[in-house]
Amino acid sequence: MKPIVETKNLSKWYGNVLGLSDVTLQIEPGITGILGPNGAGKSTFLKLITGQIKPNIGTVKIKGQKIWNNYRLFSIIGFCPEQDFFYEEITGWQFVTSLLKLHHFSESEVETRAQKALEIVELVEDKDRVIRSYSHGMRQRLKFAQAIAHDPEIIVLDEPLSGLDPLGRRKIIHLIKSYKGEGRTIIVSSHVLPEIEAMTKRIILIHQGKIFAQGDIHYIRDLIDTHPHIISIKCSNARQLASKFIQQDYVLKVHFSSSNDSLLIETNNRDKLFSLLPSLFIENKIEVDEITSPDDNLQAVFDYLVGK
Amino acid sequence: MTIKEKGYSHWDGEFIVKKFPWWPITRYGIKLTFMRKLFKFTLPMSLLPAVFFLTGIYISERLEDFPFLRGETSQFLQINPNYFKVYFTQGFMLFIMLMIVIFCGASLISDDLKHNSLQLYFSRPLKKKDYFLGKTAVIVFFLFIITLIPGLVFFIMKLVFSGSLKFFISYPWLPLSIIGYSFIVTGFFSFYALLLSSLSKNRRLVAILIFGIYMLSDIIYLIFRSEFRSHYFSLVSLRANLQQVGAHIFGQKTPYDIPWIFSFLVLLGICVFAGFVLKSKVKGVEVVK
Amino acid sequence: MNQKNTGRLSFFLDSVKNVYSIFLSMGRRAKKTKIFFLFSFLPVVIAFIIKFNQIFSGRGKIQGIYIFSNLIVVFYLQFLILILALFFGTSVASEETEGQTLIYLTTRPISKSAIVLGKYSAYTTLVILMMSVGVLLSFLILNVNNLGNFSLYKILLRDVVVLGLGLICYTAFFTFLGAFLKKSIIVGLVFSFGWENVIQYFPGSTQRFSIIHYLKSLLPAPRTGRFSFLMFRLEPSPTGTAIFMLFLITVIFLCLACILFSQKEYILED
Repeated sequence: MKPIVETKNLSKWYGNVLGLSDVTLQIEPGITGILGPNGAGKSTFLKLITGQIKPNIGTVKIKGQKIWNNYRLFSIIGFCPEQDFFYEEITGWQFVTSLLKLHHFSESEVETRAQKALEIVELVEDKDRVIRSYSHGMRQRLKFAQAIAHDPEIIVLDEPLSGLDPLGRRKIIHLIKSYKGEGRTIIVSSHVLPEIEAMTKRIILIHQGKIFAQGDIHYIRDLIDTHPHIISIKCSNARQLASKFIQQDYVLKVHFSSSNDSLLIETNNRDKLFSLLPSLFIENKIEVDEITSPDDNLQAVFDYLVGK
Repeated sequence: MTIKEKGYSHWDGEFIVKKFPWWPITRYGIKLTFMRKLFKFTLPMSLLPAVFFLTGIYISERLEDFPFLRGETSQFLQINPNYFKVYFTQGFMLFIMLMIVIFCGASLISDDLKHNSLQLYFSRPLKKKDYFLGKTAVIVFFLFIITLIPGLVFFIMKLVFSGSLKFFISYPWLPLSIIGYSFIVTGFFSFYALLLSSLSKNRRLVAILIFGIYMLSDIIYLIFRSEFRSHYFSLVSLRANLQQVGAHIFGQKTPYDIPWIFSFLVLLGICVFAGFVLKSKVKGVEVVK
Repeated sequence: MNQKNTGRLSFFLDSVKNVYSIFLSMGRRAKKTKIFFLFSFLPVVIAFIIKFNQIFSGRGKIQGIYIFSNLIVVFYLQFLILILALFFGTSVASEETEGQTLIYLTTRPISKSAIVLGKYSAYTTLVILMMSVGVLLSFLILNVNNLGNFSLYKILLRDVVVLGLGLICYTAFFTFLGAFLKKSIIVGLVFSFGWENVIQYFPGSTQRFSIIHYLKSLLPAPRTGRFSFLMFRLEPSPTGTAIFMLFLITVIFLCLACILFSQKEYILED
């Protein structure tokens, strides 16, 4: 398949801060998830491929054409930025129609498309309210509406699910997946692995400004599953609980805190351990104050993958 | 569903109130102003009149070394309360103060409104009074650098250069005038800037309003004075009011033929009005209609 | 080839027109416009007070048109058009970067120059309208007892044209300044009320380095009197030269603004 987005040795830095370093990749039609912890360089990458900023080194090509100052390409690109900024004093309807006008559509087409986009994101009822009165979720959906209203071939979404409630999140995920079937290229960034997992199998992992891995999400999942997990339990009788854990072969290590009221358990089978917990607590009448998984986040996964 | 146990407990710790809860706001405001590149250039430039006046004080004690300065300029080199009044109330000095106020004051509240950070402030043990005090102190800090500090330095240096207490004995009230007027002028500009800063989220608009209203008041005064030929129209001009009050405080003849107290009341009225507006504008929660 | 160029030009002009209509409509509703409209309406109040006083005090010796001319110089030429142009001119680029809304415009199939020119035209239209309403009403109030004198309308037209030219030229300059500098207001204020004021008192060619020189060259020198100091030392340029220079300054700064806005990378702060 012919790549839609191509970058070659792409590097960007802001003063002394490295934003992105030597990124060479190709993105084909379909949904591609850009995954990385906060500050990894996801937004920089998306800004570069949408021509918002200039690369210091390297090139970005969209359908074989350079993107910087090539405004014609934006008739086929829709971009949903991460930042929560709008023309606050206008209504949602005015916002979408104004931006559609810039695509040189006729007046009637502008209205039809705006109506459709607002229907998709379920903002029709609130379209005549000024944007500054919108909730965070509504603003997020409005950003999405302006990105899809002109029916673009390439949709770039920077953290489109942030701030949405679970229902809104599901709707947007469903929507993004529905676009996949229409042969479009969708690039979506997130720092939440399950979010990306729900949308696509094809991911690009960015870490500290570099492409860390690219390919099928199952590969990453496998790595994560074999990654020893640490679970912290704060409870009434930590030592009694520990004696039960060490009998399990999937528990690798048990540590006690200095105050003896919590323990850290290292396991290579998190799911099995979690399913054991309720019965252990009930049988041994242990009062639990807190269960946390200190390394259950993307940063920890990255740290593990890079061998920190 | 029956709620068997309340999911919260009353906090029974000791509530510690910091002595100066406004200080972090001030410190941050000062730091932020100093971070502006243009300000690093503007602040030293705004001290040039002070250097010029200080040089005047030095020369006044060394006139024998500068014979060419005698004659017409000798009047300028007479160091008396009028000399101080000229420094504090000349139009150019007030203009400099205005520019400093724009630099450090325009964004003080407007940025908080823009970034919805008022609720962050008021979710801490901070009263509105502390918030205003913290913001005001930023303006006061910068204006004191060009008013109170140079004024006191002039006075001290005059005593040092003359090598006697004669000047102090002649004008023992002068330090009080310097302190008093510095407080009035900085107090007024602080309220004025905070009032306008609370009216918009747009820092550029606030900067233009701070400058524009000051200039506008003067233009209106000029037009009315030429038409009505009455000094009472000087009450419209912010500059004229500051000059009028300044002249009185330094024991000099007022530039406008009206009681100085009227000007003082106008300035005070603006500050009181600003206080009311600020109280209603600065809220922890904004209700969007 | 020629057809291609014509097509490009019409596409560009269409883009400018679209940006213009969006920002004219947005600007009309904006709170900032209402504040500046109040500013520009102040001379009307001043004119009303003066006229009211003249009628009721019986001291109507000074002609309305004389006061009007002074109002044009003191209030409009030396203050209001500078303030309006400074705010709206710098807004062209600054409000997009400060408000972080630039991204919505630059991800559309329109050139960045079209954004600059469209917004510039929209804001210039707004400020000219604001100024014209104030000038017209002040004129009518101050000359209420002499409205049959058609020669006065010539003066009104001339003043509106001069102020309009001033707004076109200053807004272009400040559009450039806004695109060039991150914090353009302070520099703009220093230029407007420092440079433009000081340099006009300089003799010889020095004053030709200001915009106000060309605007004042288009107005007749006031009679010696209360406001004559405002024209002090003015060594006017011929009318044709003044108009040409104002257009030249406008074109140069607009071109510079377009180039800068197209080439400059605006990194929006997160």
